[in-house]
Amino acid sequence: MIDKQLFSLSGIKKVTIMLVGLTVLQAFMILFQGKYLALALVKTWHLRPLNLLGPLIGLFFAAFIGRHLINWVKSIVLDRFANQASQSLREQLLTKLFHVGPSLVAKQGTGNLVTMALDGIDEVDNYLTLILNKMLNMMIIPWILLIYIFTLDVKTGVVLLLVVPIVILFMIILGFAARDKADKQYAGYQLLSNHFVDALRGLSTLKLLGISKQYANNVYSVSESYRKQTMAVLRIAVLSTFALDFFTTLSIAVVAVFLGLDLLNGKMPYFPALASLILAPEFFLPLRDFSSDYHATLNGKNAMQAIRQLLALPEATQRQALTSLTTFGANDELEFKHVNVSYENNNEHDLADFSFKVHGFQKIGVMGPSGSGKSTLINTLGGFLLPEVENGGQILLNGQQVPHLSQEQWQNNFVYMPQKPYLFHATIGQNIAFYQPKASREAITAAAENAGLTIWLKQLPAGLDTVIGEGERGISGGQAQRIALARAFLDRKRRVLLFDEPTAHLDIETEAALKETMLPLFKDHLVFFATHRLHWMQEMDQIMVIEAGRLVEMGTPQQLQQKQGAYTQLMTQMKGAKL
Amino acid sequence: MRNPFQPLKKDNWVKPYMKKYKGLLCLILVLGLLTFFCGAALMFNAGYLISRAAQRPDNILLIYVPVVLTRAFGIGRPTFRYVERLTSHNWVFKVTSDLRKRLYLTLAKDAAFFQQHFKTGDILALLADDIGHLQNLYLRTIFPTLISWFLYIIIVIVLGYFSWFFALGMALLLAIIVFLLPLVSIAVTSARVMQKKQLTQQLYTDLTDNVMGVADWVISGRENDFIAKSQPTLKALRKETLATKRFEWRRDFCIQFVFAIISVALLLWTNRYFTTSPAAVNWAAAFVLSLFPLIDAFAPVSQGVEEWPIYMSSVTRLNNLKPQEQALPQQAKLPTTVPPISFQHVEFAYPNEPNIINNFNLNVTAGEKLAILGQTGMGKTTLLDLLLGDLQAQKGAITIAGVPVAALQEQRKELIGMLDQKPFLFNTTVRNNIRLGNLEKTDQEIDEALKAVQLGPLMARLPKGADTVVEEDGARFSGGEQQRLALARLIVQDAPIILLDEPTVGLDPITEKALLHTIFSVLAGKTIIWVTHHLQGIQNADQIIFLEHGKINMQGSPHTLYQENARFRKLYALDSGE
Ligand SMILES: Nc1ncnc2c1ncn2[C@@H]1O[C@H](COP(=O)(O)OP(=O)(O)O)[C@@H](O)[C@H]1O
Ligand SMILES: Nc1ncnc2c1ncn2[C@@H]1O[C@H](COP(=O)(O)OP(=O)(O)O)[C@@H](O)[C@H]1O
Ligand SMILES: [Mg+2]
Ligand SMILES: [Mg+2]
Repeated sequence: MIDKQLFSLSGIKKVTIMLVGLTVLQAFMILFQGKYLALALVKTWHLRPLNLLGPLIGLFFAAFIGRHLINWVKSIVLDRFANQASQSLREQLLTKLFHVGPSLVAKQGTGNLVTMALDGIDEVDNYLTLILNKMLNMMIIPWILLIYIFTLDVKTGVVLLLVVPIVILFMIILGFAARDKADKQYAGYQLLSNHFVDALRGLSTLKLLGISKQYANNVYSVSESYRKQTMAVLRIAVLSTFALDFFTTLSIAVVAVFLGLDLLNGKMPYFPALASLILAPEFFLPLRDFSSDYHATLNGKNAMQAIRQLLALPEATQRQALTSLTTFGANDELEFKHVNVSYENNNEHDLADFSFKVHGFQKIGVMGPSGSGKSTLINTLGGFLLPEVENGGQILLNGQQVPHLSQEQWQNNFVYMPQKPYLFHATIGQNIAFYQPKASREAITAAAENAGLTIWLKQLPAGLDTVIGEGERGISGGQAQRIALARAFLDRKRRVLLFDEPTAHLDIETEAALKETMLPLFKDHLVFFATHRLHWMQEMDQIMVIEAGRLVEMGTPQQLQQKQGAYTQLMTQMKGAKL
Repeated sequence: MRNPFQPLKKDNWVKPYMKKYKGLLCLILVLGLLTFFCGAALMFNAGYLISRAAQRPDNILLIYVPVVLTRAFGIGRPTFRYVERLTSHNWVFKVTSDLRKRLYLTLAKDAAFFQQHFKTGDILALLADDIGHLQNLYLRTIFPTLISWFLYIIIVIVLGYFSWFFALGMALLLAIIVFLLPLVSIAVTSARVMQKKQLTQQLYTDLTDNVMGVADWVISGRENDFIAKSQPTLKALRKETLATKRFEWRRDFCIQFVFAIISVALLLWTNRYFTTSPAAVNWAAAFVLSLFPLIDAFAPVSQGVEEWPIYMSSVTRLNNLKPQEQALPQQAKLPTTVPPISFQHVEFAYPNEPNIINNFNLNVTAGEKLAILGQTGMGKTTLLDLLLGDLQAQKGAITIAGVPVAALQEQRKELIGMLDQKPFLFNTTVRNNIRLGNLEKTDQEIDEALKAVQLGPLMARLPKGADTVVEEDGARFSGGEQQRLALARLIVQDAPIILLDEPTVGLDPITEKALLHTIFSVLAGKTIIWVTHHLQGIQNADQIIFLEHGKINMQGSPHTLYQENARFRKLYALDSGE
C-alpha cells in the first residue's frame, strides 16, 4: 500500500519522523478532547452546577484547539517538503530534457511533456502534501484511540475493530467493480467527452457542408449519452464511498445500542459509555479522510511514476569526447562508416549500414521518398539521435572516432533549420541572437539585413524589439525561415548548416526569394540539405539518395544524371508534366 | 474592489437553468439537508439513548424508540448522501447538455466567428473550459452553500424554540462561518487566483519554449539559461501559492476556533437549561453530540468559494457572447447546373486595415479550372471567403450565375464545396465523416466515393474497413489520405463549384502529384478555383492568375504564360528543377 518511490525523495525521513511525532501528539489531543467532553457531560448529567464544569471545559477547549494547531503545523511542514521535492523533480525533468534533446520530445509529444512539467508536477506536489499525512493519520490515530476505547469498554473496541476489515474489503471489491466498468467504457467515453470540442472546432466545416444547425441536436444527444454512461459508472464508483459511509455510520449506531443495553443492565457506568460513543466517529475519521482524497493521490502517484520513468531514460554520455574540432574549416572531415540508427521498438534499422565521407565546405543534397530516412540522417548529424553502438559502426571527425554526434564541440559548429523553425516567445532580436545572447546590436542588425529581414522590420513599429511567438504577432513561414537564417549569418563560427526540408511548405515565390538569400551563405559552409524540391540539387556538390534507410547512390548531380539510376528515377517520379 | 457578484446580475447562463430544472434542484437540496440531518440526529439519538439508559429505567420500552431511530438514522445518512451525490451529478450533466447545445448554436449563428478562423483554436478551448467551470460552480459552490444556508436557518429556528437568547448567539457565531469567512475568502483570494492564472499561463509559455525549442537550446549549449528560463515565474508562482495557503491555514483554524467556542457555549447552555430535572438532563448530551457531524456541513463552504473569480470570468465570457447574425437579403434559388462566377470591381479590407483586395475583376466560365497563385498573405484565402459569402466586399459585386452570393447563402452547400490545407475530420468513423457531405447517401454510395478517391485498397486492408475511427485530427491517416477522405466527402456533396485552398501544402511531391491527379479526374466538369502554392500539376488549369497587392498581375493559360512571360518561365523552371 505504501508507495515505494516516496522513499527515494530526499528529506523524506526527517519529515516522516516529525510527522509521526506530531500525529501521536494529535492522537492524544483527540483522545483528551473526547474524554473531557464526556467528563463535562457526565457532570451535567449528575446535575452539577456550572462552576464544577469549568476546568473540564477548559481542558476540552485546549485539546480541541491543540488538535487544530497541530494540523496547522503539519500543513506548514508538509507544504515545505512537498514544494522542495516537486521543484527538484521539475528541475531534474528539465535537465533530462536538455540532455536527451529533441528525440525525447518526438517520443513523448510536446503537449505531453509540457503538461508533465506543469500539471504533472503540481499533481505530485499535491500528492506529497496529502499522502504522508493521510497515511500516518490512518496508521497512528485510530489505534491509539482504540487502545483507550478498549480500556473503557471491550465490546465497543471489538465492534470497531471488526468493522475495519469489512469496510476495506467492500471498498476494494467495489473499487474493482467500478474500475472494470470504467475500463470497459473508456474508449467510447473518451470519444464522447472530446466530441464537444471536436464539434466546435469543426463548425466551419459543418457550415460549409450546410449542416451546422442540424448538428446541434447531435451535440445534445451525444452529451446526453455521455451523461448516461457517466452516471452508470458513477453509480458504482460512488458505491465504494457509500460502503465506507454505511458501515462506519451503522457501526456507530450499533455501538450506541450495545452501550445503551449494557447501561440499562447496569453492566457499565455512564462515563465510559459516553466517551466510547464520542470517540467512535473519531476512530473512523482518518479512514474516511484517506478515501475521500484517494483519487487526487492516485493522479499524483501516476504522474510521479511517469516522471520517474522518464528520468530513467538513457542519455548521451561522453559528450566531451570530441577534442579535435574547434571551428569546422576547409580541411576538416566527417566520415560515417557502416552506421546504423534505429528508433525504439523498430525492428529494422531506420538508417542501415550508412557510410559516406565529406570534406571541407561541401554542399550535400539529401534526397529520397518520404519516410526514407532523410530526417533521421539530419537528426543523427545533429546529435539528436544516437547511432547503435553494436555492429561496429563508426563516426569519425578528422579521424577521431566519436560514439555519437551529441558532442559539445560539434554542436557548437552547426546551425539547424527544420521545416518550421521554432520561434521563442521573445523579441525578434533575441531570437536572432539565440546562439549568441551577447551579440552586439550592430551585429544583429547586420545579420537581419543579410537574411533579408530589413524591409519587414522597418514596417514593424518596434523593429527588432517586436515580441513574437506564442500568441503574439503572427509570423509567416518565410519570415520564420529568415529569422533562423539570420542566426547563421550572425554566428560566423558555426560553419555547418543542417537543413531539413526548409522550404517544403512555402509558396514558390517566397521560396525563390529565400533561395537568393541562402545561396551566399552556403559559401564557406558545410551544408547538408534534405529536400524534395528539385531545383536545389543544382546548387549541390554531392547528392545522397536514400531509400528505406540505405544510401543507394552518392555523387555529383552530373554523375548521377549519367548513371540513370535511383536519382534519375526519383526525379521523374517527382516532376510534374511538361508544359 | 469590483463587486464579485456583478457577473450574476445580468446573467442568462446560470440562473435560467436553476429555474428550468428547479424540481430536481429542490430534491438535491432536500437530500443534502437530510444527509446532515440524519448525521446530527444519529448522534443526538445516541446521546439521548445512553443518557436515558444510564438512568436505568425499569421499562425497556422507554428506550425502544431511540434504539430504532438510531438504526434508522444510521442507515439514512449514507443512503441520502449516496442519492444526493448521484442526483447532483446527474443534474449538472443535464444542464451541461443544454449549455453545450446552446453554446454550439450561439457560435453557429455568429457570422463574425467564421471570419476569425485564425484565432479560433484558443477561444474554443476557453469556451469549452467555461462549461466545465460552470459544472464546478454548481457542484462545489452553489449546492454546498445553499445547503449550509438552509441548515443554518433550521438550526437557528430549532434553538429559538428553546431559547431566543441562545439562538441569537449561535446565529451570530455560525454566521462567521457561513457568511463572513466565505466573503473574506472571496475578497482575499480573488486577486491571487487571477494573478496565479496569469503566472501559470506564463509558465506554460516558458515551458513550451523549453520543449518546442529544445533542439536550438541543445545546439546553443546554454544549459544554465535553459533551466533558469522558468525560474522567475516559478518563484512568483510559489510566492502566490504560499500566500494563498497561509491564508487558508489561518482561515481553517479560525473556523475550528469558532466551533470550539460553539461547543463550549453548548456545554454551558445545556448545563444551565437542562439541569432542571433528571428527565430533562438526558437532552444535554444529545444536543452537544449532535454538533460534531454538522461541522462537515459548514466548514467546507469557504473553500468552495475560492475559485469564485474563475467561475465568474467564465460566466462573464459566456454572457458576453452576442452572436451577430448576418442580415441576408431575399434568398434566390439556382438550378444546380454548373454556373459561371464573376467578380466585378471588388474591394475589401479587414476592419482597421488597408484594402487587401483592390478593384479586383475576374470572370470564371462554367466548368473552367482556375488556378490562383500569390505569396502568403496576399489575400488568396480572403478571396475564397468573399466568394463563399463569409466575408462581404465593401465595394463591387460577386455573383454566381448573375446572382449576388449573399442571396445564395441558404443554398450554398448545394452550390459550393471546399477543400483546404488541413481538412477537418471528425473523430468518428470514416463512413460517418464522408456522410456529412450528404446525409441521405447510402453506405454503398459512400464506398463508391471512397473507391473514386483511390482509398478502396486502404479500406480493404483496415480490419474495420470504412468503420475505422479516424481519431482526433484524423491522426489515424496520413496527410495525403486525409485529403482523399475530404475529397470523398466533396464527391458525396456533389456541388458544381469547388474551391481548393492549397490542398497539397506539406505533402511530398510524389503524394502531391498523385493527389492532384485524383482531384482533377474526379472533379472533371465542375468549376474549380484552385489556390496553389507552387506549380506542380499546373497543366490541369485552364487559366492562371497571380494575385499581388489586391490585383491580378499575370493572367493567362499555362501554355501562353510559359511562352510569353519570362517571370512565369523562371518560376516554372525553379519548380521543375531544371
Ligand atoms: N520518432 C520516431 N519513432 C519511430 N519511428 C520513426 C520516428 N520518426 C521516424 N520514424 C520512422 O523512420 C523512418 C524514416 O523517417 P524519416 O527520417 O522521418 O523520413 P523522411 O524524413 O525521409 O521523410 C520512417 O519509416 C518513419 O516511420
Ligand atoms: N480576420 C482577419 N482580420 C484581420 N486580418 C486578417 C484576417 N484574416 C486574414 N487577415 C490578414 O489578411 C491578409 C491576407 O490573408 P489570407 O487571405 O489568408 O492570405 P493568403 O491566403 O493569400 O495567404 C494576411 O495579412 C492576414 O494576416
Ligand atoms: Mg522528414
Ligand atoms: Mg491562404
